[in-house]
Amino acid sequence: MFASSQKDRPPGEMFVWFTSMGLAVGLLMIVGLLGFIVWNGVAVFWPKPVAEIRLKDGAPLFRGSASVMGVITKQQPIDVRNLTPEQLAHPDPLVRMEKQLFVGNRNTYGASYVYFNAGDIDSVQYPEGVLNIERMEWGNALVYPIALELKDGTRIEASDPAFPGRFSEIMVEVNKRRAAITKIEKGRIGKINHRMRNLQLDERYLERNKTLSPAQQADLEETRERIRQLQAAYEPLAAEALKMRERQNDHHLLFRLATGEERRQAMGDFVHHFWPNQMNTLHKIGQFLHHAKEFLVAYPREANTEGGIFPSLFGTVVMTLLMSLAVTPFGVLAAIYLREYAKQGPFVRAVRIAVNNLAGVPSIVFGIFGLGFFVYFMGGNIDRIFFPRNVELGVPTFGTGGVLWASLTLALMTVPVVIVSTEEALAAVSRGVRQGALACGASKWQTIQTLVLPASAPGILTGLILAMARGAGEVAPLILVGVVALAPSLPVDSIFPFIHLERKFMHLGFHIYDLGFQSPDSEAAMPMVFATTLVLILLVVVLNLGAILIRNHLKRKYMASAF
Amino acid sequence: MSITSTPEIPERFRVAKPTLMLDRFMTHFIKGGGFAIIAAVFLIFVFIGIQVIPLFRGASVDEEAVYDIPSDDIAVFGVDEYGELPFFVTSAGELFFLDTRPEDQPGHRGWFGMDIGLPEAANISVMEYNERGNELLIGTEDGQFKVAKIVYGVTYPEEGGRLVTSEVQGTPLFPIGRPGYAVSHLAYGDASASDTGTRKLVAAVQQVDGRAELHAATLSQSRTLFGLGPLKEDASYDLTHLLGGEPQAVLVNWEANSIVVGNADGSVCYIPFVNGAFDVRQRFRPFEDLPDPRIASMHFVLGDVSIVFTGVNGDMRVWSLYRDAASDMRLWGQTKKFPALAGGGATYYSPSLRNKAFLTGRGDFASLRYMTTEVIRWEKILPFSIKDAIIGPRYDRMAFLSTDHKLHTYRMEDKHPVAGWKTYFGKIQYEGQAAPSYEWQSTGGRDDFEKKLSLVPLIIGTLKGTVYALIFAVPIALLGAIYTSQFLLPSFKRFVKPTMEIMASLPSVVLGFLAALWLAPIVSNAVPSVVFAVTGMTLSSFFMGWAWGRLPNRYRLAIKPGYEFLLVIPVVLSFTWLGWELGPVIERTFFVVTNPDTGLQTADFRLWFPEFTGLPFEQRNAFVVGFVMGFAVIPIIFTISEDALTNVPDAFRSGSLALGASRWQTTMRVVVPTASAGIFSALMIGLGRAVGETMIVVMATGNVPVTEFNPFTGMRTLSANIAVELPEAPYLGTLYRTLFLSALLLFLMTFMVNTIAEILRQKLRERYRAVE
Repeated sequence: MFASSQKDRPPGEMFVWFTSMGLAVGLLMIVGLLGFIVWNGVAVFWPKPVAEIRLKDGAPLFRGSASVMGVITKQQPIDVRNLTPEQLAHPDPLVRMEKQLFVGNRNTYGASYVYFNAGDIDSVQYPEGVLNIERMEWGNALVYPIALELKDGTRIEASDPAFPGRFSEIMVEVNKRRAAITKIEKGRIGKINHRMRNLQLDERYLERNKTLSPAQQADLEETRERIRQLQAAYEPLAAEALKMRERQNDHHLLFRLATGEERRQAMGDFVHHFWPNQMNTLHKIGQFLHHAKEFLVAYPREANTEGGIFPSLFGTVVMTLLMSLAVTPFGVLAAIYLREYAKQGPFVRAVRIAVNNLAGVPSIVFGIFGLGFFVYFMGGNIDRIFFPRNVELGVPTFGTGGVLWASLTLALMTVPVVIVSTEEALAAVSRGVRQGALACGASKWQTIQTLVLPASAPGILTGLILAMARGAGEVAPLILVGVVALAPSLPVDSIFPFIHLERKFMHLGFHIYDLGFQSPDSEAAMPMVFATTLVLILLVVVLNLGAILIRNHLKRKYMASAF
Repeated sequence: MSITSTPEIPERFRVAKPTLMLDRFMTHFIKGGGFAIIAAVFLIFVFIGIQVIPLFRGASVDEEAVYDIPSDDIAVFGVDEYGELPFFVTSAGELFFLDTRPEDQPGHRGWFGMDIGLPEAANISVMEYNERGNELLIGTEDGQFKVAKIVYGVTYPEEGGRLVTSEVQGTPLFPIGRPGYAVSHLAYGDASASDTGTRKLVAAVQQVDGRAELHAATLSQSRTLFGLGPLKEDASYDLTHLLGGEPQAVLVNWEANSIVVGNADGSVCYIPFVNGAFDVRQRFRPFEDLPDPRIASMHFVLGDVSIVFTGVNGDMRVWSLYRDAASDMRLWGQTKKFPALAGGGATYYSPSLRNKAFLTGRGDFASLRYMTTEVIRWEKILPFSIKDAIIGPRYDRMAFLSTDHKLHTYRMEDKHPVAGWKTYFGKIQYEGQAAPSYEWQSTGGRDDFEKKLSLVPLIIGTLKGTVYALIFAVPIALLGAIYTSQFLLPSFKRFVKPTMEIMASLPSVVLGFLAALWLAPIVSNAVPSVVFAVTGMTLSSFFMGWAWGRLPNRYRLAIKPGYEFLLVIPVVLSFTWLGWELGPVIERTFFVVTNPDTGLQTADFRLWFPEFTGLPFEQRNAFVVGFVMGFAVIPIIFTISEDALTNVPDAFRSGSLALGASRWQTTMRVVVPTASAGIFSALMIGLGRAVGETMIVVMATGNVPVTEFNPFTGMRTLSANIAVELPEAPYLGTLYRTLFLSALLLFLMTFMVNTIAEILRQKLRERYRAVE
């Protein structure tokens, strides 16, 4: 029987090792992916040194210059299909490599990223005097400053030791003024515009009638009068904003690009600056934190490829919260019904299986339902009943995608998650507790209200958090029911009624989709996509970890307190 | 003894009224509310189902009104868009209109005539009606012709309502062919109506001394600042020598570049106008195989690339133009066959101007048929004998002229004529195609574009994505689950499981973005490397197990059971790296393509694969999607099958081990078979997830509908198709409802798969419970 030469070796050990490969690969995949996203997402904010590259004699020039300045972003082999026979035959493998450079200055160069054959590069230096400026438009500028030209005619040369300090002072001043302008334009002018739009719709609506009754005539006159009043209120504000805008052009920076071109730009165009080649680690950390903070709180610029993601983050949070508001009472109510009130039998068992399976129905199916039912059917009818004016003018209010419909759609999608976990939590409350309460004379509802629900609250919370995590990361149904790449206003703001359920909104997941796939220069958008991905992943993973932790904690608690 | 005998419950034991009322209220509230919520959630699918139902309905046609026509000599009639002002032309060329609005309407016009612009002396020999341009073609006894266009307009008068107005625009009489001989057949095409040019083409048959002659003329009209200039004849052609028979019917297409002549002997002659000259390209007999091959009628379907023929015995066949592969020319071929009309060929015919439907029949029989799908939308024996019929320009009404001089109007509702089982699941030969195929193409450039709505490529795409995802995910997930549940140290398991579960929560948009913008370029650059890396990964663990098992016990036992995977991680990594580095070497050796022009040799899999297999290679392909979808599927399969394996009662395992089986034997012979139902259910749920995955597929596949399983091309899945097309689909249109149908399919697929899985799991749970 034990004829084997290795009788002390249990058979099949080889396969055990083989199965361990499955786990190893799975773990490597998830750790690798998360690591990759974190690394790339974090790297976006880290200030990188700016290199000045000198091209070899005879190599193709960049805009007529042998010298280029930029951040070296990657080095990779050139696509075999694009290699010339000479390159293929060359002994030095460097010839078949290319370097990607972030050169910035898009208004001058046309593209932010440029590739150079590694074999053409003569030398790489990191000059101290380079200034990296983030601008309102056209992305970053990597420049050698020449001088500051102030409004009063004074000129501060870059070699002047006072230059960096003065430059920073003006930047602070310019940014403060920009914030003030935004406050006027978004705040006070925004409010006026909001009312104006409404009145103009009224006016258009009345003007459609060929003949007006005297009452309608009076209405029209009044509407026009109010439009005039708003116009009168608007003009001084607009003038004030304009005046401040003009002051943004008081001071100018004179600078030189690595290619030798000289440019002059108003300081008001600049958002932020740093000296990338003069930073120690502490500076870099400071810069990193600044970038990260700006990314979270700033509005996007340049078709979402620059600036921050505040509206997307805000939209995601508002949508998820609205969704939880809808999903919690419905899910909990349905679960209490199924577990505590419904007569347990084959029917309830079938319903339970079906509810469980709903969680596996593709999200796009819920999306198509949301569009057909919420947006077209419900929204269309709400519009017909409450906003006949807007329907008539072809401006749907609720009859188009919006944050309310999006949250309800996702609530439907996640309600099975909440039902299932609430049911589990209710089932985990031991019979003894219930029977004790009933024996003491409590009614059924009193038992549930005072004992069962509190005891299962953490379980319900777990379900809710899982639902939120699923809702926050889901994009496919949102495409159909109200998410947009660039929303003009937030779904919650300071204009009455403060929460605008009908507004379209921005979403982190859709932001990723839009930037990666709809933007004309996906290469330039990549850093933004990675950073947004990092934020979304953090949001979802933190929610999930929270749910898992609560669940593990609960398991232990129940095990300990079992009757 | 008896409890009931205590009559009085002490006050302190009595329940307060509000408590009881609240309890009663909550009971009703929860019962009602809970049931309502669950019902509401399931109503989703009822709602989606309701959206789909209209797709499978035929046309509904209801009689609207009957009008007496004060003339018994109507040769041609037609209607406007609203059916308010039909026109009638007598065989003598007098034009009348009938105001069909109720007579009390302001400005009611009754029956009134209008000058068609024909000289008194003209004797009409033939009159034809072109629906597509609402034109009358009039030929005279003395060899002249005229085109009279009836132009409808709409005004909105002060007193409200809508008033349809009409006017006649037309050419003067032009001579054609041999002067002085009567025109017996006439056809006309105006390329400016189809936006393909400005040429106008007239074809006319004349009887000259008992012999038929075919003449054609091209006309043109200059466009000036003040509108259209006068029409003038550019050139005329005598095509009699091309005829080869006695012409019986003539058609000219609306691009004005071909003439089709039907002869009395049942042959058809196709004469395209190429480079300024006419020549016969094809002669065919649509009813060649029948005893009597004669043609009773032939008419174009909208778009003028298909002709509906009826034979003298009522057989109905459709011939369409397609590009012949051998000659690379557009030729006619039979594409469809309809049920025959009883009693003989069609006596009337009217094409829809909105789609490929046509109304035809004979006697008192009327039939509305849809060319593309070979479906009869509606047919009926009417209570009157039909002289002529017409479909309204909006495809919302029909009008019949009966032999007893009455006009019968019918309202028609046929919103989705294209839809049907055959469209969605059958092979259809669309116009211009040489063979039937499954095709999805919902939008096109031209007005006469046919929606191609086959769901088959989408279903195949869905299966393709699923198959590649599972090929990759199943082994890893199952091996991982077996190892985690059977061999892994429990203290590791506490962090391993949550880590894998985190993987399930990765938003698919993130996976899609990484797949498309990061992974796809890398993989397409290095396919051999990827293949070798995967092989290296697999072999390394085998090799590792084999080698480790052969070491002396001293070393072998250094790794305690449950720690194997820690040692495997570096080995897997290094072998993966080795495989990756080996890839380019193999590529240089085997996957070399020689450029035929320069003789230059390039080692590149992307070039080699299409060269060698003839299949295309795309950067965004099923291979990449399969890998990335693994991130979504692996954790699901892993978690559920791990649960099933862990829950196998310990008694089984202990018994097997006690009988001397090794841990691997125990696992494979005892644990896995016991948990097989649970593992199967895990696979089903993983499959359900892969089927419904949307964002990864939208982003990483290129979204081209395919019907093959090549790993190096993309695909379009049902779910991606919904996400891509629904935002542009008009509300309640055919495409909108078709997308609902695909959502319903998706739902049914996943719901069924999940239900099977769930039932299996419940069975398994019961089995375990029985053992314990």
